[in-house]
Amino acid sequence: MNQEKIPVFKKWSYWYILVIVVLIAKIIFFSLFTKFFS
Amino acid sequence: MSQYDWLVLVLTLTGIILYGLYKSKTTRDLDGYFLSNRSMPWYLVLLSIMGTQASAITFLSAPGQAFTDGMRFVQYYFGLPLAMVIIAISFVPVFNKMRVFTAYEYLEQRFDVKTRAFTSFLFLLQRGLSTGISIYAPSIILSSLLGWNIYITNIIMGGLLIIYTMSGGAKAVAYTQQLQFMIIFAGMFLAGYVVVSLLPENVGFLDALHVSGKLGKLNVITTGTNENGFNWSDRYNIWSGIIGGFFLALSYFGTDQSQVGRYLTAKDLVQSRMGLLMNGLIKVPMQFLILLIGALVFTFYQFYTPPIFFNKTQIELVENSPYKDSLSRMQSVHEEISAQKQTVVREFTDALALKDTATIARTSEQLKILNEESELIRSGFKNILKSQPGADTNDTNYIFLRFVIDYLPEGLVGLLIAVIFIAAWGSIAAALNSLSSSTMIDFHKRFSKRNQYVGIDKAAAADLAVSSERDYKYSRLYTLLWGIFCIVIAQFANRMGSLIEAVNVLGSLFYGVILGIFLVAFYFKGVKGNAVFIAALVMELFVIALFKWSTLGFLWLNAVGALGVVILALILEPIVRKK
Repeated sequence: MNQEKIPVFKKWSYWYILVIVVLIAKIIFFSLFTKFFS
Repeated sequence: MSQYDWLVLVLTLTGIILYGLYKSKTTRDLDGYFLSNRSMPWYLVLLSIMGTQASAITFLSAPGQAFTDGMRFVQYYFGLPLAMVIIAISFVPVFNKMRVFTAYEYLEQRFDVKTRAFTSFLFLLQRGLSTGISIYAPSIILSSLLGWNIYITNIIMGGLLIIYTMSGGAKAVAYTQQLQFMIIFAGMFLAGYVVVSLLPENVGFLDALHVSGKLGKLNVITTGTNENGFNWSDRYNIWSGIIGGFFLALSYFGTDQSQVGRYLTAKDLVQSRMGLLMNGLIKVPMQFLILLIGALVFTFYQFYTPPIFFNKTQIELVENSPYKDSLSRMQSVHEEISAQKQTVVREFTDALALKDTATIARTSEQLKILNEESELIRSGFKNILKSQPGADTNDTNYIFLRFVIDYLPEGLVGLLIAVIFIAAWGSIAAALNSLSSSTMIDFHKRFSKRNQYVGIDKAAAADLAVSSERDYKYSRLYTLLWGIFCIVIAQFANRMGSLIEAVNVLGSLFYGVILGIFLVAFYFKGVKGNAVFIAALVMELFVIALFKWSTLGFLWLNAVGALGVVILALILEPIVRKK
């Protein structure tokens, strides 16, 4: 059976965490953006 | 458009088609035609996923949406990264392991043939209708530019697409989307740059943001609450975006064959997952930047006089009616207000430079009032327009286009028009390819006596059965037939208001239920075919009724449909089993 080689991280779960953390960061940035320019 | 613009447009489009045909060499069987022989690396999968979702509608309507309603539309994409994670964990390994051609093949093994056929039918109905709208979107550009009849333009536009899709197959779709994206990004970046550079000398990018921010256009995050609490009919807020958007994205990317077909072309599981996860990282910022262009165009029109209505043909309609004099009076008031706005906005930007908070507060209030007055004039025009037969009172899709034609330099207009065309081609080509694959695999091959095979476990048998020249020809024929169907639908698309919303509303009517079926399949192993089939049928009728007779924001329909199918199927399972 072929062993899958995950890019950058050792586990897929790190990729999933990264996507979610980046989303939270975007929402925080957008909140500040909205407040700053309103 | 100048001759130079035409040259840029024709060269770009011809280049794309030739590149697509050059890259389209593949085996003349279904594996080659629908899945590019499962050979794609993750970055091509990513571009194909993004190119399929981002149609001409994205680039036409989104800036207009920001112009009229502000940037809060971006919240609609907040659920997407979460959906990418779930699909990468649960959906992709199953599809990959079974080596399916369509997502619905899996449902026959898990449930039964009627559930597979019903789900595939819902997909075909929804995707066929949405693709019709996607043909109409670029057609309005041609009709507006050249004064062509919109119905004939639809036929010409759809005709070109059918030839392109029939010749290329999935491989050509993926490779052209790669080139298309480079051109699209270059075009949109240049458009954004030009908007800012056209502003008066002392007004920079940040000043432009302050202007649109003060006028409520940079409302990226909204909570959807008012004095009466949470407003359930509010379309775009952080909650409907995360929850409703999550269900919509889960359904779209996990169960819509136009997307599943893209990541099934990947070389292996790793390439599929990487493509999806990268989409989760990139999509929100990309949409934010497209909407930002719309907000900047709004600022631009504080310094310059906008047309009273952005669809020129509709102004001409009123000009040739008994309301001609009313229009001329409205236009002079509109120009007067615009002149006042220009004075006040300059005062505002000067105050920004001096950090004069009192003047900033006063002028921003004045600007708000002047913009409300402008909107009243526009409403007055729309009321007159309503009385005209065949009038279209929504100009959201024309705002960005009108700006491009009126203000962008020679050559760039042609490039921006090309961007809209190739974005449309990318997504429509993928959609026609998926409509054809579902028709061929889920209906033609499944129910044709010559190809009858029972149960899906026969993946190897199916692989053997499908690899024939005859099936390849049938698949091309179905692409043609679906293309014709979509052109017919395009003829009725001009009554649907904002096109980007129309596509999303349409999706929300069916996606929730389709997703519910897949959720039961993946996570509730005890539920069998009959229970899920009845639950799906009942919930589909319920969602349509909810849309027709309630004021619930359409994004919530996805959650209602999906959860409804899961709950109802769980309730029905013991009852159906007893009988």
